[in-house]
Amino acid sequence: MPTYVYGITGADHPLHLEEVFGVGETPAPLRTVRTGDLTAVVSDAPEGLRAKRRDVQAHQRVLEVLMGDGATLPMRFGLLAPDDEQVASALDAESDRYRARLEELDGHVEYHLKVSREEDDLLREIVAESEQVRELRERTRNQSGGHDERVALGELISREVSARSSAEAEELSQRLAPAATRLSAGEPSSTHFLNVSFLVPEDGVESFVQAVERESDQRGDAYTFTLTGPLPPYSFV
Amino acid sequence: MALVQQSSTQSGGSGGGGGNLYDVLELILDRGLVIDAFVRVSLVGIEILKIDVRVVVASVDTYLRFAEACNRLDLEAGRKAPSQLTDLVGDMTESGAKGKSKGALTGAVEAFTESLGSKRDDSEEEEPQPRKRAARKSTSSRQSSQNRGE
Repeated sequence: MPTYVYGITGADHPLHLEEVFGVGETPAPLRTVRTGDLTAVVSDAPEGLRAKRRDVQAHQRVLEVLMGDGATLPMRFGLLAPDDEQVASALDAESDRYRARLEELDGHVEYHLKVSREEDDLLREIVAESEQVRELRERTRNQSGGHDERVALGELISREVSARSSAEAEELSQRLAPAATRLSAGEPSSTHFLNVSFLVPEDGVESFVQAVERESDQRGDAYTFTLTGPLPPYSFV
Repeated sequence: MALVQQSSTQSGGSGGGGGNLYDVLELILDRGLVIDAFVRVSLVGIEILKIDVRVVVASVDTYLRFAEACNRLDLEAGRKAPSQLTDLVGDMTESGAKGKSKGALTGAVEAFTESLGSKRDDSEEEEPQPRKRAARKSTSSRQSSQNRGE
């Protein structure tokens, strides 16, 4: 039976795993694979495992519990080793790297921030600031103007939206960066112009959250900031 | 004004947790440590997450949608007070409801049921269906307070 791997900790991690279970329809009991310096937290992998809500949640839960007691390298969801022995060899093979990473992440948590802006708010800004958009808009309103002009207007707006969104994302990231140890940018989506993770020292969490609050306050109601954390440092392993 | 602060699945020990997994789904599925020699389970059906963004951006459909949205826009209010555009959201018939529904949550902790895109107390068997607008919805349960929570 393959072995499902949740995460890697140092050998001195207390591993309070009694009340937490792994993936599977019948939540799998957790066990460990130990080498000299490292411990992998694993379970049997249920047959036909996929990214089901229940299982993704179990994966996340195991890592949150581990993270609460010490530095942990979170695995990506769904990693399967042929058996426990192979897990042990993988730990040995990369032992130095994993230990260095654990040390680096010790005392840190990840916070993930998504920011969206109401589209109409951004469109009003674009109309107000671009004469070309205003002209095309006048020509295409009220069913007048041809298809080509509409496409041209839309394309122009689309470019403005991208440019303004990425500029604002960059600016916002830079303003928050000093409150974090590291930063890892994710791809923006059609709804969130900013999608970024921060590695934050545990004793700096309060000031980091305050920094995010300040940015959110300044930007007003057209913006929604969604801050999730503390999380296992998925983006920094 | 609109900061929503949340944990992901923590639930004060009641096991599992309703959580806000949706917002960190991409981290759990796409980041995290990988060991090359090992295999990963299939993520079929979840990859919409990514396709969603790239294909949509530069298409004629998108352009026409932008043009239409721009033409519908009520600029009157905007002209009068260009420096306070954000206060005008409530006047927009189309965005009024969503604009207000999130309220002023500075520092508060709010839970999201819509976490994994399923409608309600859906079966746990269901695979997470990424949604475009999940971050807007906001009611609910099983949420542990963090930092500034009660």
